[in-house]
Amino acid sequence: MRKLYIGLAWTVAGAVVVQAAAIAFAFGGMLNLVSEGGVVDKALLESFQAAGVGEIGFLIHGVVGGVLIPLIALALLVVSFFVRVRGTTTWAAIVFGLVALQVTLGFSITDMPYLGLIHGANALAVVATASFSAFRVRRAREADPADTSVTPSEGASSDAVSA
Amino acid sequence: MPSRRDLLRCAVVGVAVATALGAGAVAWSSTLLGEYSVMTMGGSAHGSSGGHAGHGGESGGAAAASGTVASSSEVSVTSLTADPDRAPDVRVELVARQEPIDVPGGRRVDGYTLNGTSPGPEIRARQGELVEVTLVNESVAAGATLHWHGIDVPNAADGVAGITQDAVPVGGRHVYRFVAQDAGTYWYHSHQVSHEQVLRGLLGAIVIDPAVPSTDAADLDVTALLHVYGGQHTLNGRVADERVTADPGSTVRVRVINSDQGTAAVWSTAPYRVVATDGDDVSEPTDVDGQRLLIPAGGRADVAVRAPADGSAVRLHVGGARSIVIGGPEASDPPAARQPSETIDLFAYGSPAPLGFDPSSPDRSYEYVIARRFGIIDGRPGNFWTINGRMFPDVPMFEVREGEVVVMHLRNDSGDVHPMHLHGHHVVVLSRDGVAASGSPWIVDSLDVHPGERYDIAFVADNPGIWSDHCHTLPHAVDGLVAHVMYEGVTSPFTINGDAGNQPE
Repeated sequence: MRKLYIGLAWTVAGAVVVQAAAIAFAFGGMLNLVSEGGVVDKALLESFQAAGVGEIGFLIHGVVGGVLIPLIALALLVVSFFVRVRGTTTWAAIVFGLVALQVTLGFSITDMPYLGLIHGANALAVVATASFSAFRVRRAREADPADTSVTPSEGASSDAVSA
Repeated sequence: MPSRRDLLRCAVVGVAVATALGAGAVAWSSTLLGEYSVMTMGGSAHGSSGGHAGHGGESGGAAAASGTVASSSEVSVTSLTADPDRAPDVRVELVARQEPIDVPGGRRVDGYTLNGTSPGPEIRARQGELVEVTLVNESVAAGATLHWHGIDVPNAADGVAGITQDAVPVGGRHVYRFVAQDAGTYWYHSHQVSHEQVLRGLLGAIVIDPAVPSTDAADLDVTALLHVYGGQHTLNGRVADERVTADPGSTVRVRVINSDQGTAAVWSTAPYRVVATDGDDVSEPTDVDGQRLLIPAGGRADVAVRAPADGSAVRLHVGGARSIVIGGPEASDPPAARQPSETIDLFAYGSPAPLGFDPSSPDRSYEYVIARRFGIIDGRPGNFWTINGRMFPDVPMFEVREGEVVVMHLRNDSGDVHPMHLHGHHVVVLSRDGVAASGSPWIVDSLDVHPGERYDIAFVADNPGIWSDHCHTLPHAVDGLVAHVMYEGVTSPFTINGDAGNQPE
């Protein structure tokens, strides 16, 4: 279970990196489209057929941010209940809370663009808390050799044993 | 060897997981729509035959009034037609095909055509004439229909698959008949899998000229249909700007049709006038200078531009990407003008004029509150639109009786703009955010409601039938932003998701 928890936490952190890369690529593509005489307006955005270089970036940002990361963060929170390390659930809950905030901010940016400032900063907070969650469980795991010998699928019962 | 305590713990976790999965599966399958009739939506008084009984989606004060009409007085949408004995004045046949579109000046894209082109041919009729259009589906695999956007047609001719007709299958045909009662700029488009078929070009313009030309009619009349094909902004189907040769000092009426999914901006290098919105004339329009006009998705605006008296030219920007140059034949093209950041407020434009009805004490009053939340529709999880806090198909049914004055309170609690489109009727905007309208009666069929805005609108229930009332950013309608106005005693024999494959959105 600890291995799974660590894996999920790192995946959240890694996915945020993908988000940053995807949105930068997307805006690069949009600027490229404009520089070649293209026009970006509501009609184009809502048609989902911009055919520009970076369009896939917006798609990735939407799917990873709107679906994937929330699901992984939720799984992290569920798994945290089976990891016998103090404070694990609290940290998983913080990660989940920040992700929920991030999604809400993302959906509200069109209406209130200044929220983008918080959206960008909060992304770093998600990376930091997810990474810290992984680190502290790994530290506990290293300090507790009983856990290192078992495979993740046996994690639940081994946690009980080690407890 | 695991201890007894571990075994117990595993068992508890196993049971909990199994229960959660089971409950999830039941919850998920309960969202599956299957075949359904629109009449069963929203706790309608007529909805006893279907699977969504007892939703009680009404929220307006007068909404509790129910249609306790005897079955003998029920009329089917199919009987709500134009006079069947009257010979048509304008007869058109439109052949729909699923085929690549050669976009002049641009790239070839996969799409749909009518009589071999997209946009389809412009239909022109005179006010009072009976228009008869035959749709022949040659190869549109999903089936097709034609909806007459903005024209208050009889319900049988509204062209909404699964409500007023079955989608026309490949090899099939359907005849639409209606009297062109109101002069103005309109358009037609498919209302079967509309988010896909409209996007890919199954559409065209229809203009109804006044029975008696008005004394201040423009010298020239041009149509400017905007559409994005595969990321290419087009004007009347071409990736190119247009030039209109006009005598110095003459007036050109440009009928801008926004067939796209988002708001279009119109602005000019010289003052212009907004002479009509959604086909309805503006009372005493004044010059607009240094401001842009925003046209909602699905909306139209007729703009009058005067060719400069000195023989030079004016550039009218239509949509973000295209423009029309209006001027003498020798005039050089004026450079593009920067889009003004200020928007003309049609709410206070022109002069007040009589409405023709009194909306101050309506017979019905409904709320239409748009928001968004996570959920599952038809087994598909997503972040969906809600109406009055409820998710499709649990949305309200707006029941009305013929002759009633209906007021709707629109409110947008979501973060996106929604171009709200009511079929079969025109609505007058009474107030916005509590402030009464002060200009010419602002009469529309497509109204942009921005985040946080509240609009009070009114209409007279004078066209019996079952009418969609939805967002014209069409993917939003797919994601649940569609409700219906249903007249008491009107029934529909058609269903959605059945054998006919009807999928209106």
